[in-house]
Amino acid sequence: MTLLNIEDLSVHYGLKTVLRHVSFTVHQGEGWVIRGVSGSGKTTLARAIAGPDKYTGGLNISYDTRSNLPAKTLFVESWYRFTNLEGDRNFYYQQRYNHQQRRDTVTIARELELYGQTYALDHTRLQALITALDYDRVLDEQLFEISSGEHKKLQLIKALWLRPQLLIIDQPYTGLDVKSRGRLNELLNAYAREGGTLILVSNDTELPACIQHFAVMKNGGFELADAALVFEEKTLKPLPEFLKEPPQYTAPTLIDMKQVHVQYGDKQVLKDIHWQVNAGERWLLQGHNGSGKSTLLSLITGDHPQAYANDIKLFGVQRGAGESIWDIKKRIGLISPELHWYFDANATVLQSLASGFFDSNGLYRQLRYMQKQQLNELLKFLDLYDVKDELLTTLPLGKQRLALLGRTIIKNPQLLVLDEPCQGLDQQQTQYFNKLVDEISKNGVTIIYVGHFETQLPACITHKLVLQDGRAIENTRQ
Amino acid sequence: MANYFNTLPLREQLNQLGVCEFMSNDEFLDGVDALKGKKIVIVGCGAQGLNQGLNLRDSGLDVSYALRKEAIEEKRASWKNATDNNFNVGTYEELIPGADLVINLTPDKQHTSVVSAVMPLMKQGATLSYSHGFNIVEEGMQIRKDLTVIMVAPKSPGSEVRAEYLRGFGVPTLIAVHPENDPEGKGLEQAKAYCVGTGGHRAGVLRSSFVAEVKSDLMGEQTILCGLLQTGSILSFDKMIEKGIDPGYASKLVQYGVEVITEALKHGGVTGMMDRLSNPAKIKAFRISEELKTIMRPLFQKHQDDIMSGEFSRIMMEDWANGDANLLKWRAETGETAFEKTPAGDVKIGDQEYFDNYTLMAAFIKAGVELAFETMVEAGIKPESAYYESLHETPLIANTIARKKLFEMNRVISDTAEYGCYLFDQACKPLLADFMKTVDTDLVGKNFNEGKDGAVDNQELVEVNEALRSHPVEQVGTVLRKAMTAMKAIKTA
Ligand SMILES: NC(=O)c1ccc[n+]([C@@H]2O[C@H](COP(=O)([O-])OP(=O)(O)OC[C@H]3O[C@@H](n4cnc5c(N)ncnc54)[C@H](OP(=O)(O)O)[C@@H]3O)[C@@H](O)[C@H]2O)c1
Ligand SMILES: [Mg+2]
Repeated sequence: MTLLNIEDLSVHYGLKTVLRHVSFTVHQGEGWVIRGVSGSGKTTLARAIAGPDKYTGGLNISYDTRSNLPAKTLFVESWYRFTNLEGDRNFYYQQRYNHQQRRDTVTIARELELYGQTYALDHTRLQALITALDYDRVLDEQLFEISSGEHKKLQLIKALWLRPQLLIIDQPYTGLDVKSRGRLNELLNAYAREGGTLILVSNDTELPACIQHFAVMKNGGFELADAALVFEEKTLKPLPEFLKEPPQYTAPTLIDMKQVHVQYGDKQVLKDIHWQVNAGERWLLQGHNGSGKSTLLSLITGDHPQAYANDIKLFGVQRGAGESIWDIKKRIGLISPELHWYFDANATVLQSLASGFFDSNGLYRQLRYMQKQQLNELLKFLDLYDVKDELLTTLPLGKQRLALLGRTIIKNPQLLVLDEPCQGLDQQQTQYFNKLVDEISKNGVTIIYVGHFETQLPACITHKLVLQDGRAIENTRQ
Repeated sequence: MANYFNTLPLREQLNQLGVCEFMSNDEFLDGVDALKGKKIVIVGCGAQGLNQGLNLRDSGLDVSYALRKEAIEEKRASWKNATDNNFNVGTYEELIPGADLVINLTPDKQHTSVVSAVMPLMKQGATLSYSHGFNIVEEGMQIRKDLTVIMVAPKSPGSEVRAEYLRGFGVPTLIAVHPENDPEGKGLEQAKAYCVGTGGHRAGVLRSSFVAEVKSDLMGEQTILCGLLQTGSILSFDKMIEKGIDPGYASKLVQYGVEVITEALKHGGVTGMMDRLSNPAKIKAFRISEELKTIMRPLFQKHQDDIMSGEFSRIMMEDWANGDANLLKWRAETGETAFEKTPAGDVKIGDQEYFDNYTLMAAFIKAGVELAFETMVEAGIKPESAYYESLHETPLIANTIARKKLFEMNRVISDTAEYGCYLFDQACKPLLADFMKTVDTDLVGKNFNEGKDGAVDNQELVEVNEALRSHPVEQVGTVLRKAMTAMKAIKTA
């Protein structure tokens, strides 16, 4: 039985055509994967199917009236933004460190309860999903305090609990650790056995057995593809001259933390952390979601008020000695999923990169001649020159991340803080991104890289700090 | 205590109303130096208190909080706000005597009692700061002669003050020194340093006076910012229901439309907003806004007159003394309006559709912004001050309606603004009754261009465009927006 029928579907954003004349048919119970390079239109296609975006052409979903599954289509996006109780996205990423409106969002447990009520779902099925994805320990957290990976799992749990007749997941595996990926595949197979129809948008190769249909998007067009199709890696261009210069260090030790503790109410987020980062070292920071990584980094980037209550020296200066956070930020290039979520939606690609000179979220100042020169060199190096005047938010995710990587290095800072920079990216994009990081690291810049998977890291790492429940359980030279 | 403004001779009234200077970037080259190493104590840790304090500390200044005893003992929200963010917190007795700068960020209604309690504890030659001049100007609070009195008034809710700072920008800010209390002549330097500490210097700073700030702030919030947004929203919604438009659609159009439409003000002023309409819709909106201005001008003038004479604050303070009886009654009535009670429908409305289907709101906004601006300037307030209190703040307030309708707007704004807003709304609705009878769904609810061929008279269009661009609020706005280096969008959903 035909569930989804698409005929001559096209989508335009403003004057750009992002999807051209797509036609295909999906039958009930089938499993599809749609592949494609960044910008090929695969996410747009998924969105068009799930609605309510505007398109031209025919798109028809006919649900099976005899199915036990709800007659619905659900789209799980590749990454999420926080909302508070009022559905308000009008807050900024450092807000979770400033303790004011903490009760504005709900706990995960409550969120799931409300979700279950809305769709009249059977609670006995929920626990199995929670256990499978190792989600028990997150249930009491506030929605806006959980990490990006935990957000991903929450969306997956909701989707698999609802079991819509048509389920579309964009980048199902990003943000999940190896174990959770395997578990997810089992859950997806179970969903398919119950009659669910699945469309995954992914370039990953370890897919669940229920995926039997393969397609690839190319420049907005749709083609059936071979199961074995893999994507070629892009090659790097030569690094701009100004990035070959070693950064100007102001002190031999960049970070010196002693006995750092951070606590919210009764909850200890960081316990007794001692950590030294010296010029030129390249650290990997690892730990489960919620182990305290982002909090630790926020102490370094001047975003966390509790830095004032701890013994922390940054770039040779004691925190709280009368320095401003802008003195600190000017020595750091930062990228993180949260920064990306809240990045100025009105900024063009060029403005986004340029804002790195001033550590602002969006560009508010005039550029000097030399700054413009460097910007152009960097845009070309990152293959972004042709799109420099487009809004950052209209680019595909992979390119947005490259632009934000460019933002971190544009001022050639002493320290790069790369917090899950590849969150939401697929394997090919991640490899390319990491090669860039390796190339950049050659000038002796100090790096803190937060990553999830052993396999997807840049090669340049020299040291490792592992956090578990707020404690450092490994602090070593590689 | 007597109304300070009314004690002044006319010459001095005009003089203080006319203090208005847009400060250039190089006036802030000394950064926070004038406050470096000084003890800053903030009284109150609410919306402005917490967020200004976080910014000041992140700018390298020494900040602690003095709270009333009960707040500390009962561990109230203000105490939690301060301690959870690792600030030093103490009682007035513990902290005020050591303070070089005391920043009063308690609700305006409490200022007389707070300042009376704090002042005797302040050391010789210290500075007292406000973020709104009501207490000094309308209540005539007398401050000890050795103390310096300054004002740093961010033109935004507290949460924006913080968000914009962390984004690397700031919010436009008014600063002032009270001429009766500047014994050492250090007031301006300290106000500038404080303003830098909050990030305000990046977004545009207007040197003002306590008098000019109060008289313009009250006028703006009562008329265009809150009053007319409330009246316009309710009338528009009711009209659509009367004409059989789907209530869910009507509710959504009104709730979010005002935000989308006024967003255009930030970038291109009234002209920019009107340019989003089709040519025929623009001409229509222009014509009805002229009509609206004629109808509402006497009401705007009455509000300005009552603010200038002190009559407004007199009746409001009567209501304070009466346990806020009127305020609470009107608040409850607003909660009962059909607009407030109808949830926004689950329909997608595109950006342009808000303009095309809600031409009436563009006309309301244009009329209100221009009238408020014109009335303030006629009363002796300088165009730059009038601009901030009319056009500039409109999108910021509209944003709160998008969040949770009028309830949210009235929650976020001060009690003073809320009181004035209801006063205006009560008087404005009957005034517009006849006008509203002439309004049909082409102006609100349906696409104005539907069934029309889009033709306009060349000459007429040229005249309308010319009139829009040459209005004084547009001329001063163009200069100010440019001077603010970048007038960035305050984030919306
Ligand atoms: N809100 C705005 O958008 C805005 C914009 C610009 C300027 N302003 C000005 O900023 C000032 C503060 O306004 P706000 O909106 O920040 O106020 P708010 O959020 O209501 O905060 C009031 C704070 O003052 C404390 N407080 C209340 N009554 C008190 C009393 N009798 N004695 C001592 N402390 C008391 C409260 O703490 P406890 O009750 O726990 O003691 C609370 O921490 C006002 O002058 C206002 O006009 C406001
Ligand atoms: Mg105001």
